[in-house]
Amino acid sequence: MLKIVFGDVENSIYHPPTYFDNTYEDEWITNPLSVQMIKDIDKSEVIGPRVIDSPVLGSISVKELSGGVKTLMLMAFDESGKIFNASACGDNCAKWICNIAKEKDLTINLHHVMSFAEVSGFQAEILNTGKIVNSYDEYLAETVKIKER
Amino acid sequence: MKGKYHICVQNSRIRYEFEIKRNITIIRGDSASGKTTLFSMIESYNRLGEDSGIEIVSKKECITVNNATWDLVLDKHNDSIVFIDEDSPVIKSQEFAEKIKNSGNYYVIITREDLPNLPYSVDEIYGIHNSGKYADTKRIYNEFYKLYSVSDDYDKKADIVIVEDSNAGYEFFKNICSSKVSVISAGGKTKIRELVSKYTDKDILVVADGAAFGSEINEMYLDMQKNQRTKMYLPESFEWIILRSGLIDGNRIATILDNPEDFIESSEYFSWEVYFNKLLVKETEGTYLQYSKSKLNSSYLNDKEKNRILNVIKIIIGIICD
Repeated sequence: MLKIVFGDVENSIYHPPTYFDNTYEDEWITNPLSVQMIKDIDKSEVIGPRVIDSPVLGSISVKELSGGVKTLMLMAFDESGKIFNASACGDNCAKWICNIAKEKDLTINLHHVMSFAEVSGFQAEILNTGKIVNSYDEYLAETVKIKER
Repeated sequence: MKGKYHICVQNSRIRYEFEIKRNITIIRGDSASGKTTLFSMIESYNRLGEDSGIEIVSKKECITVNNATWDLVLDKHNDSIVFIDEDSPVIKSQEFAEKIKNSGNYYVIITREDLPNLPYSVDEIYGIHNSGKYADTKRIYNEFYKLYSVSDDYDKKADIVIVEDSNAGYEFFKNICSSKVSVISAGGKTKIRELVSKYTDKDILVVADGAAFGSEINEMYLDMQKNQRTKMYLPESFEWIILRSGLIDGNRIATILDNPEDFIESSEYFSWEVYFNKLLVKETEGTYLQYSKSKLNSSYLNDKEKNRILNVIKIIIGIICD
């Protein structure tokens, strides 16, 4: 289940890419989910846990991956209980956030209204108001009420 | 700072080229589009210069600041183009807004967040467009003569016109709209979205000052993509419309309006709408067209004057008039 909290919240990481750079595990990079996400978002191939092949930047280290894909990997694999700021992710990460939330309870922080327009069957609990939204339309309508966004 | 600046940042693998012409430019968009790479390259060049292997071509110095040092760095720079990445929550603070308000710098802010403390234009929100090794910036929100619509139905009549302000602009639109159209004042840009949400079964035209509407447009655009019955007309400001009409010294004013970046000093005007208001007030002082934002001079509603203004906004005449 996806849970979203807008605005400043305790136990959140405002800039997940920096947190990722200092906490990630090698095994995250070669996990099949990560390989798919890196291919989709960064258009890059995972060669090994420490090397990725980027079509623009060439051979890059893990730390040169995009902020969005680093944040997604934290959402998928981090077990600290921290809430990650999904405003570090572009709208092209939205479907992956929802995919991860299908496998586990995932709470994300947002400081903007992210578009989940491309996600079919979108559902989430908006923690600011306690409402469960069962569509993207309902999500947009609910965000109007949230001052913290 | 005034003017438009062409900037090129490159290394052996990638080249960015773009133009900056207002005090606040926003860069946002999909992950992995190259935003942070651009910032990192400028930061490396700041530290090491040409020894970084990076080349920057720009008539103004490009610098970067972070959340810890922004205050001290900005104290030392007053004629630079300042880049700020998304890891700096200070950009949302009133303290930051006050600091940059009378600054002689231009600011390029990489963020997906809406920044209501900063008056940035809808025209200066860009994504990075990549084509292999080359990258440039592309406006995120596409418009047709300042009219923003998701559907192609540009002439569909509006049931309701929502005007951002409650002053001269509101009075003008109230006068020119068809009697079948309800004209409502939102009382400020931050109230527009909530007001629109109350009329989802109506065809709505929102009229607001594009020069400072940047913080509102992301959410408005998402709503418009779901409810295509809402359109937005976002000229720079109501005062810009009057200046564009040619009622006041046509050629000289037209020169200013065609390239406002060459005339508007960023340290004096936080947003271009403030400049256009001041210009209009100054140019009409002591004349029959004397302008005040708080109350519309009735001369602007005389046929000749009104028609000159209508000619500027002709893209929306079919939507709001009989």
